[in-house]
Amino acid sequence: MRKMLITSLAIAIAASLAGPRAFADSSDSARVGDIQYGNALDPTGWAPLLWADPRGFSWLHAGMMRTPSGVLYAYPPQRDDKSSPLYKNSDWVYSGFLQLGYLHLGGDTHAEFFRQYAGWKSGMALGLFALYADNPKTGQYVEFRGSRLSGGDQYYRLRAGQYGSYRIEAFYRNIPHDVTTNAYPLWNGIGSTNLTLPAPLVPGGSTPAEVAAVDKTRTRQTIGLTRRREGLSFEDNFYRDWTGYVSIVNEKRTGDRLWGGPMYLNYILPDNGGALETARPIDFTTTDVSIGLRDVGAIWQFQLAYTGSFFRDHKNELDYQSPFALRNVAGVPQVANIYQGQFSLEPDNDYHNLRAELSRSLKWNGQLSLAAAWGTMRQNDPLLPPVTCTGTGGIFVSPSADFTFNCADWNTSAALSQQTANARIDTGLLDAKITLHPFPKFGWHAGLRWYREDNRTNYLAFNPLTGQYGYIAENGSQGSIIPGQIGIFDPRNPLYSSYVTQVRAIPFGYTYTVFDTGIDWRVSEHNTLNLTYSFDRDQPKYRERKLVNEQRIKLSWVDRALGKGTLRLDYEFAYRNGGPYDYDPYEPFYSTALPGFVTPPLGNVAFTTDAMRKYDLSNRIEHKLHATLIYPIGDTATISAIAYATRDDYGAAIGRQATRNRGFDLSWDWQPSPLTSISANLGRDDSSLNFSNVADNEDITGAPGRDDPSLGGPLFPLANQWQSLDHERDYNAGLTLRHDFGRVRADLSYTYTYALGKIGYVFASPGALPITQQPFVDAAGNAFPDNHYHINTLQLGFDIAFSRMFGMRVFDIFETGSFADWHYLGLQDNLVIDHRIYTDLGPQPHYSANLVGVMLNVKL
Amino acid sequence: MQNGGARTAVALLMLFAVAASLLVVRHAAAQVAHPATAASALTEQDFSRMLPAMTAQAATNADDSNPHAAPLPASALTTGDFKRMLPRTDMRSDADANAHPHAHAFIDAGAATSFDGAPIAKNPLAPDAIAIGAKSCVACHALENVQASHSLHVQAFRAGAAGTGAAAACESCHGPGSAHAKDPTKPGLIIAFTRDAKAPIDAQAGVCLACHKGGARQDWIGSVHQQHQLSCTDCHNPMARLSPEGVLAKNSINQVCATCHQDIRDKFNRRSHMPLPEGQMSCVDCHNPHGTLSADLIKTDTVNETCYACHAEKRGPFLFEHAPVRKDCLTCHDPHGSNQQALLVLPVPMLCQQCHTMTGHPNDLLTRAGLATGPAPDERLMGRACLTCHTNIHGSNNPSGSRFHK
Repeated sequence: MRKMLITSLAIAIAASLAGPRAFADSSDSARVGDIQYGNALDPTGWAPLLWADPRGFSWLHAGMMRTPSGVLYAYPPQRDDKSSPLYKNSDWVYSGFLQLGYLHLGGDTHAEFFRQYAGWKSGMALGLFALYADNPKTGQYVEFRGSRLSGGDQYYRLRAGQYGSYRIEAFYRNIPHDVTTNAYPLWNGIGSTNLTLPAPLVPGGSTPAEVAAVDKTRTRQTIGLTRRREGLSFEDNFYRDWTGYVSIVNEKRTGDRLWGGPMYLNYILPDNGGALETARPIDFTTTDVSIGLRDVGAIWQFQLAYTGSFFRDHKNELDYQSPFALRNVAGVPQVANIYQGQFSLEPDNDYHNLRAELSRSLKWNGQLSLAAAWGTMRQNDPLLPPVTCTGTGGIFVSPSADFTFNCADWNTSAALSQQTANARIDTGLLDAKITLHPFPKFGWHAGLRWYREDNRTNYLAFNPLTGQYGYIAENGSQGSIIPGQIGIFDPRNPLYSSYVTQVRAIPFGYTYTVFDTGIDWRVSEHNTLNLTYSFDRDQPKYRERKLVNEQRIKLSWVDRALGKGTLRLDYEFAYRNGGPYDYDPYEPFYSTALPGFVTPPLGNVAFTTDAMRKYDLSNRIEHKLHATLIYPIGDTATISAIAYATRDDYGAAIGRQATRNRGFDLSWDWQPSPLTSISANLGRDDSSLNFSNVADNEDITGAPGRDDPSLGGPLFPLANQWQSLDHERDYNAGLTLRHDFGRVRADLSYTYTYALGKIGYVFASPGALPITQQPFVDAAGNAFPDNHYHINTLQLGFDIAFSRMFGMRVFDIFETGSFADWHYLGLQDNLVIDHRIYTDLGPQPHYSANLVGVMLNVKL
Repeated sequence: MQNGGARTAVALLMLFAVAASLLVVRHAAAQVAHPATAASALTEQDFSRMLPAMTAQAATNADDSNPHAAPLPASALTTGDFKRMLPRTDMRSDADANAHPHAHAFIDAGAATSFDGAPIAKNPLAPDAIAIGAKSCVACHALENVQASHSLHVQAFRAGAAGTGAAAACESCHGPGSAHAKDPTKPGLIIAFTRDAKAPIDAQAGVCLACHKGGARQDWIGSVHQQHQLSCTDCHNPMARLSPEGVLAKNSINQVCATCHQDIRDKFNRRSHMPLPEGQMSCVDCHNPHGTLSADLIKTDTVNETCYACHAEKRGPFLFEHAPVRKDCLTCHDPHGSNQQALLVLPVPMLCQQCHTMTGHPNDLLTRAGLATGPAPDERLMGRACLTCHTNIHGSNNPSGSRFHK
């Protein structure tokens, strides 16, 4: 019966695909995604089949040979020397393996870090089902691999084809991702598009104490998602050197994620505003299509590829209720229902990319490559109305200061200048590269690359119903707390004719040009030097700089005979500068650029300080050093070591100023015989990042000098400058040990991770702080509490062979961890803090979890 | 239950320690018991002992004329020894056969696979050598043959041989074997792909690219791995099946990459990371180690396009874009791993405050006083911090979403 099933599976797929072909070559490494199939139980997807053959690799020499760089090859796994025929006199032979058993979880099995991407579940589990059948005479094969930890964590993949000719592949997989296992959402309807408050809370009418009372009844939930992917692909060498392929992959992503919910600032207005941590639904479908053609000739190589991706979000919005009442700081209280919040979730989008690449072999062992690509991403989703409220929002102060707005003028799509987004970005790529080796010891290469991203989105925030520009900020809450801060500009109304608000979408785009050239020089048989120079020119649109240049020199030295080892040493120096820096390039998209805008007598409040330099555009000097050493020890061991250091200095008085990173890793691998292997590793990484900022002088925002952007001026006094100092240190260690005792094989692995994060700060005066009263200044200190992330994982397993065919695996995975992050500090005591509601308690401060498994191994 | 788990683990650990203590003794025994771990200097007696089949055949081959007669360098074995030991080649040995070892491959309707027509690699260190066929190779490399049989690569060659008869399968990669057969201990007479290989790295790669050029490897020349003198066999081992696919030198793609990129491997141990340690992803999902047109071996034209392959919802375009998000995901995220939530390179709000100095609430120094345990709790600091309100930070499609509140 078993053979019949296997036979049916193999023959049904392979027989329909038979036929002679010429060369073909699958190109997994050129495809994005679905390369790896494994899970937390077996990350390799092949572990049960990796016990080494006691005979080793060769009768002619002891041990294993080393890679050209000096790493020992692993001993080949033990396999039956002869595969079984599928049936009597069949040309098809097969081999297979089944591992099936029971997993039992204990301890804090809901700990976030234990199951972040692992769908552990007590119960039956399929460790691995692997089946391979081929016909040595025709070169046809069928291969299947699958594993299942739980319904949310499983994969199955089938491949069939003929060597060098064609291949068909089908897969199905579920990938879990638990975002938090420690969530206590307040709202009903988590996972839907409508979050409503539980009784007895009243939207817009509940006090923090009332919300906190309900908070006590919340139950712990997991917020996370599952990616279900299925795909089918076919590749065929259909004519001589020509290969075509087509693939389609569909993903259904479902679940939920932590999300937000603003109702204006609370920190500055106690018992007012609202900051809500909600959860949003995930209900996505993405279909990816790839079609390609390539020709691999002796001289010419050609590729033409189309990639299409079609994303659909089946839940386009999130509505949520805020329980808190808003209070206007002046005037008559608002009467609209400004407690209903709304988010637009991601729009559907379509993506197309067409790419052609042509290479020609040249004399002198050279190659010329030319590539061109065109792409476009588009979406045209219907736009939601600016608000969902009904009634009158805003604030009435006096007849001459009537800052109210009629929700009816803004809560339908008639309030929009266009009904759909009509957003589009086109991309283009041209790339040319030439490589020549006129002498055996000397090579030269040069390349020129041009890439452009052209954003064609053009949206004007204009309400044809009111003739006003702009939008209603924060669901109407901001303008219902602070008079006049609705978010609208109206050149006809003096109350709004000086209001600065964004009125157009900013179509960010850029053109990126890179020229690089370099030489390779083989100084001696085992020594090679590479010197590369590159010049990058970035021309961003509507950014603080219109031109950013970076020059980079990289020197590499490869010594393949450093004693017995191989050393690879790289040093890079980069210098980035560019054109003038405009601290406020967004003005054309704000109301200040519209006709009728009235500049106030005191001028507009400066957008930011002119000393600010955004770090993706600022001047920078970079040094990078990286060394890799692989050093054989005797015939059975290898030491690998890397050391690295990076130093970046940014030319910024305000903004990112410097980063530093240095670290090392040391590994030792020993395989004294096919029966035993041991490896250990140890690493440390230190990084730091400093940046500076300056708090604006809020006393001056209504006084002369408020339009002065200079650092040290009245709005941005030096006394308000501050600096943040981030420092992280990571330790990693690991140990693996495997030994074959004969009938019993044992494996042990241990992983240690410790990360320590420190954030300190210094400030020139209390003016840098949000609250300048002395008790709060005293409480500020000079650093946040340390963050840490500390995980120990120990795995121990025994494989016991009962016969050639049957065996058993018993294993235990024990993990313990501790965690601290000041973002969550104190939330354990109360998830409701004034007008703030939190959902996530954060990862568990301490946990230990244990997994025991007993699996039956069957060789097929 | 927690304690129970700990006890179980400790008990298993102790059991393992006992077992491991036997290891050294067993290892010493294994040195004797396993021929593969014996001393490497081979004598004629060793050879005879290890290759009984060959010595048994010696008598029947005694009268065969050697088609590859040439001066032989000194070695442990004499020319006569090898004459006697090697089986007669089952390939034609004339010049035409070596120039066109599979001339009929594309003509015969019965050709099995393209491997029928695999060319024989040229070995510049043995220019006069000629192919002798896999049967001769296997006579000595018997166990290699067994192990390689499980590799898809060799299976494919074998299928080719099945289609067209005797084939120079081994020699398609290792070059013609006659000179090596005469003097097997002299380095360089066969193209090797290991540490002691005499063939330059480029020449080794050239052998592989003779069949595997184009496609994913179209940009190998000039790639960072090529420039760093990596050979194909630094990452691949086609002589054994050590990985489910890809004829890798280790058990998985991630293990192969971690051989040199240990620092990157460590990043995957951090608090937030891509699911590589959990086996759900590999480095090659995003990078093509064989070379690409983009920096850092990214497969697509830009970093963002690679990210969008899984995070298609971030692609937009949105009505309101966040400039650094649209330009480069790496401005805020470290895709390999981070000690912050969601792969962020700094904790929020510090991440945001590197750029956002705008007048108003973004530019205040937030301190421990603003934590939930402090005297002035501040929503800009707690939980998701800035993202609690500016939630649609990757872009908003809401007409009121210019600041990503909606």
